[in-house]
Amino acid sequence: MPKDIIAVEGKLTPLSSKTHITYQFHLEHALSSLEIDFRYAPKQFLDREASKPLILEAIENFADPAWAELYKKQWENYYPLQNLLTLSLDSPSGFRGSAHRHAPEQRHMICPDGSKTSPGFIAGDVPSGVWKVTISVHCVVTPDCRYELLVRGTDQ
Amino acid sequence: MRWLPFELHTHTPHSDGTHSLLEMCRVAAELGLEGIALTDHNTVSGLADAEAVSRQTGIAIIPGMEWTTFYGHMLTLGAPYCEWRDLGPDDIHKGIARVHEQGGIVGIAHPYSFGSPICTGCHWDYTVSDWNQIDYMEVWHETMPSMKNHNVPAFRQWTELLNQGYRISATAGRDWHRSDPADPLAAYTYIGLPDAPLPHSLTDLIAAIRQGRLCLSMGPLLEVSLNLGADQYGLGSVVPLPVREAHPEAELTVKITGSPRPERPWGAEGGSLIIIDSNLGELAKVPAIEYDGLPIPLTTAGLRWLRVRLFGTINGILTTIACTNAVYFANEQQHEE
Repeated sequence: MPKDIIAVEGKLTPLSSKTHITYQFHLEHALSSLEIDFRYAPKQFLDREASKPLILEAIENFADPAWAELYKKQWENYYPLQNLLTLSLDSPSGFRGSAHRHAPEQRHMICPDGSKTSPGFIAGDVPSGVWKVTISVHCVVTPDCRYELLVRGTDQ
Repeated sequence: MRWLPFELHTHTPHSDGTHSLLEMCRVAAELGLEGIALTDHNTVSGLADAEAVSRQTGIAIIPGMEWTTFYGHMLTLGAPYCEWRDLGPDDIHKGIARVHEQGGIVGIAHPYSFGSPICTGCHWDYTVSDWNQIDYMEVWHETMPSMKNHNVPAFRQWTELLNQGYRISATAGRDWHRSDPADPLAAYTYIGLPDAPLPHSLTDLIAAIRQGRLCLSMGPLLEVSLNLGADQYGLGSVVPLPVREAHPEAELTVKITGSPRPERPWGAEGGSLIIIDSNLGELAKVPAIEYDGLPIPLTTAGLRWLRVRLFGTINGILTTIACTNAVYFANEQQHEE
């Protein structure tokens, strides 16, 4: 039976955009597998009125000035904006993969079996030592965004 | 030299793509490609299948990754995973050095895509203090790239950097996430490789991209030879200053070979023009049908670089059908690598 290693949750605001949150933990013994459950909400920013100035500002920042007005008229093409948080994992010997994808609810497994290890992660042993799970907060647009992270391990 | 069409920017479910590496490579073969670069966002786990998929489909797979960071997306080719999470917006050269130390090369992906919060980190915001460290720029992004607005400033920036004396390669990249037969066509990046038996080594592929033996194209291959007296120079090569000075007149030949793919019918016909761009502006603009494979006379004074474009009509729209990387001319102000 898997047992819990980390169970955390947190609240983010737009100020947390472009930050990393790392949870570091020590495995006393090698495990047969590591499982990660991760979720965050909300995914979409469904406040049209509050989104408009954010989209217009991005267009102003990034569009060629010659086309900015045209893009601004079509600002709703970029609605709704979304939060994006991604996970990556480091074993005691280094990088073990990441899950750069948009789903706001994810479950991952890391083990020696390549067919059972989740896409994005590198299959292999789960040795004892210091591991890290990093939440990369690419963007929070909603006034707040809550996440939950649960890491569990199965003994050999 | 043998020119092979590649797709240099792809994703699978190891990041946010929906087609497996095997599915993608099967479709790549149907599209006429000889190879791809697997550039999943922030991971290299998809490469575990690369050898088997390559054997099964005949598609060469260049190991890569797309650094999908807060301040820009950077493609890496030929290097294992290199760390990016500790880098701030002024630290990109530290990251580039990590890739170079591992034998890889780096390219700025879609530098002028809209950034956060529309597309997180998609606009290039890193401070580049030494453009010599940037191996290539993805100046053609997505399908039908010559018609995409966000590629216009990328192409312009590449041209400006060439004008400043930097030798930077340019690539096309579909940013391929799913295999949908209804998708419009993407461009090929033809890579010029030594006439060696297949498969080509990763070292050869990386060297060719770094050097700029590349032609971006919706179909036809442009093979370029610059002749100064008895000497010939191809894409990515550098004409030494004494050679240029000894030859104020030169001849450029552009051989246009249409794609065998029926969905890519464009070539020398149909009123297409061969345009020779340079740091001095357009050196020549001639009907492709009349000059295909024949010498186009040039004067070499003041040249720092030139490249060839095939300009014509795709689906009724006048656009660049194909564009080569540069042939360079050494001069006293050059930025040495």
